[in-house]
Amino acid sequence: MMALYAIAGIVRRDLRRAARQPSRLIGGLARPFAWLLLVASGYNAIANPGTGGTYRAFVFPGVIIMACLFGSALTAVSTVYDREFGMLRLMLASPAGAAVVLAGRAVSATAVGLLQGLVVLAAAPLVMHITLRQALLAALAILVASLVSALLGLLVAARLRSVENFAGIINVLLFPMMFISGALYPAGGLPPLLRWIARVNPVTHMVELVRSALGQPTDLTPAANLLALGVFALVTFLLASILFDPEQRFTGRPARSHS
Amino acid sequence: MSTAAVAADELGRDYGSTRALDGLTLRVEAGELVGLLGPNGAGKTTAMLLLATLLRPSRGHAAVFGQDVVRARRAARRRLGLVFQEPTVDPFLTVRENLDFAAALSGLDRRSARDAIALALQRMGLAAFADRRARELSGGWRRLADIARATLHAPSLLILDEPTVGLDPEHRAALWHFLDALRREQGTAVLFSTHYLAEAEGADAVVLLSGGKVVDRGSPAALMQPFGSSLLEVEGPGVPALVTALQERSLAGMIVRAPGGCRVALGAHRDQALELAGTVPGITRALLRQPSLEDVYFARTDASALRGQSS
Repeated sequence: MMALYAIAGIVRRDLRRAARQPSRLIGGLARPFAWLLLVASGYNAIANPGTGGTYRAFVFPGVIIMACLFGSALTAVSTVYDREFGMLRLMLASPAGAAVVLAGRAVSATAVGLLQGLVVLAAAPLVMHITLRQALLAALAILVASLVSALLGLLVAARLRSVENFAGIINVLLFPMMFISGALYPAGGLPPLLRWIARVNPVTHMVELVRSALGQPTDLTPAANLLALGVFALVTFLLASILFDPEQRFTGRPARSHS
Repeated sequence: MSTAAVAADELGRDYGSTRALDGLTLRVEAGELVGLLGPNGAGKTTAMLLLATLLRPSRGHAAVFGQDVVRARRAARRRLGLVFQEPTVDPFLTVRENLDFAAALSGLDRRSARDAIALALQRMGLAAFADRRARELSGGWRRLADIARATLHAPSLLILDEPTVGLDPEHRAALWHFLDALRREQGTAVLFSTHYLAEAEGADAVVLLSGGKVVDRGSPAALMQPFGSSLLEVEGPGVPALVTALQERSLAGMIVRAPGGCRVALGAHRDQALELAGTVPGITRALLRQPSLEDVYFARTDASALRGQSS
């Protein structure tokens, strides 16, 4: 029960913070919408994804996942701010402990990704016709994708010391994950090594889940995608809690514990 | 089973090859006010992080109300309220929201949280700021909000790491007033650190740390006792001559070197000593005052502190 209060408290705080920094939410949406409205307009004329539809329709699930991935992962990575400003120490010093802190942060990061993904999904009428049932299935897929992205962000944040590495994370981790997946172009056209990476890349599975929901062709069944994401989520969560918890490295900061 | 608020036994912690804290043995009873004193680097923060279950000891043991800080970390944490050196308030949240967050972290249900927050706001004089964002508050108010934050779950032991750094006298007074009230009304034990040594004179006991080691401990009165009731602070090139003269006539008690000069405990022969000081040339500054904990500290950390023959 105490753990639930603590998780709820962490989520309340994170959502309040998110609501008070609307520029971050809007910024998070700018990326997918730029792709959907600008890049896709250009590619529509020259690209044929081979799925029978337009490039814009092809890329729509990828763009939804782009919103979830960046929204959730970056919210989770903001744990680093808390570490830098002492709030993480406060959380970890509470009776609740590290697992509860991780769980709370995972829930709120998932919520942010879910919200951003849903906003992009709501733009569906601009792109393609979808039924209510498809929309609901897609929303579920967005929820799963956001949760997995949140866990990924927490794993990254587990050892990160300073906020300056934020841009590095985006460029070195999130963009390659987007590019080496079936999100923006069919992964079938990639060289064998990249195709193999795309197969194990969780983003590929997230995108396929949304594709299935929206009735687009996929390589794997939704059940297989879910299984892959489940395994990835489990491993990520375990790694993150191992890296966060034992000995208080995360708060020790010997260099600054000067007195 | 020990029921002391803090029972530490030969507690130590290394960072790499640096011994940040070594051999700290400490007992704080329920309701006591105990100060850890020393300059930056003395080991105060390390001691507090160890007791707060946030660092693992390299040596020794410690327990908070009988709960071992390593093996029974969670149980220990329930009894603890922590105030760190840097205020831990979220600048984007209002004061009330910050408190709400802290209450949730300590596992308080909504109703208990509301009551505890209202009480803390009122006690700290923060009610007028409750719905202001923390970033709009001055450093002093933010610090008071931080301390209110640490007391919401009515901890039996409050650990405060240099809580008064950067506070103006008004906020400092408000802070000590609040801590007094907490001890009186709830029997809260308070362990604090400071390098403003005068602040610790109201403590039940103080522990003087230097270079990670305990150099002295006791009640402030007992520690200051060897200095008698008056102390002469002198500076200038004539200080060595004056010290020799005072010692020859057995007019000096404890003599402590301080930056730029000396501090001499005068004891019973105060007037004779002052008369003599007036005749020695090269004394640029002479100040007669009551001894303080700072003098005790200088005496204990100055290996060459001289014992006088008299008084």
